Amino acid sequence: MRPARVALLALAISTPGFALAEEGAKPDPTYLPELLAAARNRSLSEDRSWLRLGHWRKRLLGGWESEADGPGLFLSPQGKRDPAAELEATLNGFFAEGDGAPVGPKLGDPSLEHPQCRFPARFAWLAATLRIDLARLPPRSCPRFEAFWRRVSARSATLVFSSYYLNNPASAFGHIFLRLGKEELASGGERLDLIDQAVDFAAVTNTSNAILYAFEGLFGFFRGEFSARPYFYKVREYADYESRDLWEYELSLDERQLAMLVGHLWELGQTWFDYYYVTENCSYHVLGALEAADSNLELLSHLGPATLPADSVKALFANPGLVRAVRFRASARTQLAARTAGLSGTDLDAVQRLAEGRDSAALDATSTPERVRVIDAALDLVDVRHGRDIVTGADPAADVLRQRLLEKRSAIGVPSPPLVIPPPSAGGPERGHGSMRFGLGAMTSREEGSALLVEGRLALHDLADPPAGFSPRTQIEFFKLRLSVADRRRALRLEEASVVEVTSLNPIERFERRISWKLRVGATRVVDDGCHGCVAGMLAVGGGPGIVSAGGAFSAALTADAELLAAPELSGLSGSGVRPGVGPGVLLRLLGTDRVALVGTGSWRWLPLASPRMSYELSVEARVHLGAISVAARWRKAPRAEDVGLVLLIYRG
Amino acid sequence: MRRARWMVIAFILSAGIARADENPAAHGKSTYGLAGCGLGSMIFGDQKGWIQVLAATTNGTFGTQTFGISSGTSNCVESSGTQGARTFIEGNREALAKDAARGSGETIITLSAVAGCKDARAVGAVLQKRFAQLFPGEKTPVDQVSQNVIKELRSNSSLACGKIG
Repeated sequence: MRPARVALLALAISTPGFALAEEGAKPDPTYLPELLAAARNRSLSEDRSWLRLGHWRKRLLGGWESEADGPGLFLSPQGKRDPAAELEATLNGFFAEGDGAPVGPKLGDPSLEHPQCRFPARFAWLAATLRIDLARLPPRSCPRFEAFWRRVSARSATLVFSSYYLNNPASAFGHIFLRLGKEELASGGERLDLIDQAVDFAAVTNTSNAILYAFEGLFGFFRGEFSARPYFYKVREYADYESRDLWEYELSLDERQLAMLVGHLWELGQTWFDYYYVTENCSYHVLGALEAADSNLELLSHLGPATLPADSVKALFANPGLVRAVRFRASARTQLAARTAGLSGTDLDAVQRLAEGRDSAALDATSTPERVRVIDAALDLVDVRHGRDIVTGADPAADVLRQRLLEKRSAIGVPSPPLVIPPPSAGGPERGHGSMRFGLGAMTSREEGSALLVEGRLALHDLADPPAGFSPRTQIEFFKLRLSVADRRRALRLEEASVVEVTSLNPIERFERRISWKLRVGATRVVDDGCHGCVAGMLAVGGGPGIVSAGGAFSAALTADAELLAAPELSGLSGSGVRPGVGPGVLLRLLGTDRVALVGTGSWRWLPLASPRMSYELSVEARVHLGAISVAARWRKAPRAEDVGLVLLIYRG
Repeated sequence: MRRARWMVIAFILSAGIARADENPAAHGKSTYGLAGCGLGSMIFGDQKGWIQVLAATTNGTFGTQTFGISSGTSNCVESSGTQGARTFIEGNREALAKDAARGSGETIITLSAVAGCKDARAVGAVLQKRFAQLFPGEKTPVDQVSQNVIKELRSNSSLACGKIG
């Protein structure tokens, strides 16, 4: 079968008077050796653009290795480790005969395509760099790439950051993807972003078991693949269904860079990368694709050992002028807050009544604009409360409620004015502190005397860290370690270690009564009479009502906690080394502008069938933020410990 | 540098290429059910829509087949025309219903552009007025909703929705 008559292809026009060969023209086989020699003479296989197109990175012991783990990105069997062999195979491939377009049931097999069509970005780059004479190497028609090109119709590229979502471990640090903008405007001048294509790199997972997920995700057992879908799916999923604000960073790429990006994303669509939750994740490979599209960009070099979505946003800003516009798309919950912000107490009563399926007599007496505002807010409230259940069909009653309210609203027959929501004053992730944190300090305790403190954290944010760019409601920390060297003992010892520590403060408000909760997995030094200062493995959870007021300036939570400690020396349950404990916990936090934070916690534990039978711990930490560093003062009291410490904290990207 | 001059990338489009939605074979109509081009109908079929979308995006069950960049199963132009409108309505069902009840909003503006309607405000007014008939609730299959809406936009000549003729 013949492909479409003239196909679209990236053409690098190497001479002013270039000539495009006739349709169906054959490549000139004598031209291939010339090109191979030229590529060799210029050491093109070590050119940084070429290395980026193949995602080759220097190996520790010399040589190269591509991060791509699927075979689809290579024409040479040695391609993964040999950029030069791959370059020769690519040039060879460009001269291949035959139609080569997969059809019918093999449509989904890109390896059957002609190499020019599989690697349009390589073709464009080589044609430009080697000034390929397109009369002697005629570009082919590539119907499938062309269809992709038209579907995308990219006139802009935007990096989208989807905010932190604690209810899904995969998204606890946020998510990053690309929106390839068509830059179409409606007749009224509004942006039509919803019909743009979103391209993201995501793990193809096969488990919903959180522990298995964490394990497989951390150690690269999942495959990560690039995929494209209309942006509206992303908006519905993230902004509506998961209620996550979206931050959009439009990049100043020129036409050539955009074409390279689209061409290269097409190339990446054929392969997969082993997915590592912490390092080679969504952010990493999206940035890698951007670097391949524009070899002047420096993005990956700005990332730390852990690649977090927020850090990849900061990496954009490390390239001056790269971000040309920042936009904010409000989540369902943010929209609800905006709709209720200006309503009076009686209006809010009416919103509540409507959202609970009751009628509001007072509402019928009010003016039309007021009724519109109240019902519009009630609709958003129903969606925030029941959106999931309505969509999954899990709650037919909520569906009936929503439908009644929608019909009530439509019967008013007046359009709602547009809802304009400014970005939150805390700013986007680009304003956030560096996600890694190192600390050096000293403490003095009654039991141990003075000691040196060393601590580190891989990611991301706790309740006393600088608040700009983060949600005031969320603590999420990954791999935290605190060590001490006591003056008397001269031995390094572990104070605290966390694999993960999460706190989600959810204010009990008029419309939403979600509980605050916390989770910690790690190890801690036991500071009561359960053992002589042994280190115990720890699993702790807690939940209860919370308050977040004045934009986060004052927060508090009262929780019912349960924890499990385990250590060989511990006098735990019936003399075993396992010690469960339950009891209340309290958390208070004050923020004074962006500069000062004060966090206090307290807990009391009943320890059934263990010795001792109870334990407690109180702590207060004050932090002063001075740009990239902070100073922390801490005090702690427990049955067998009372200490104060002063630590200098340094935040790094 | 002369680079800028000779690194121009030209993309040549031919008038000879059939529009994807006019050429069933080009997008495997027989293979992918109702619409061929309809990402929406591929995913949704007669299922509950969002769950499938979420499955597609969050755990990738459908992701590789449906949204693969080079696997060729969704390479139609979805941003305009009847198929585009259908895909859009089905993928935005809940949000569009809410905007329709309110008579305005982003999904109405976008749908109007996809369907080529003259004035999104007029579309909003019509969808609002006919809301109860067009969006009878979640019990109604999603393709019924998209059919309702497209039929309404077509039959109301004052809306002049030129791309879904």
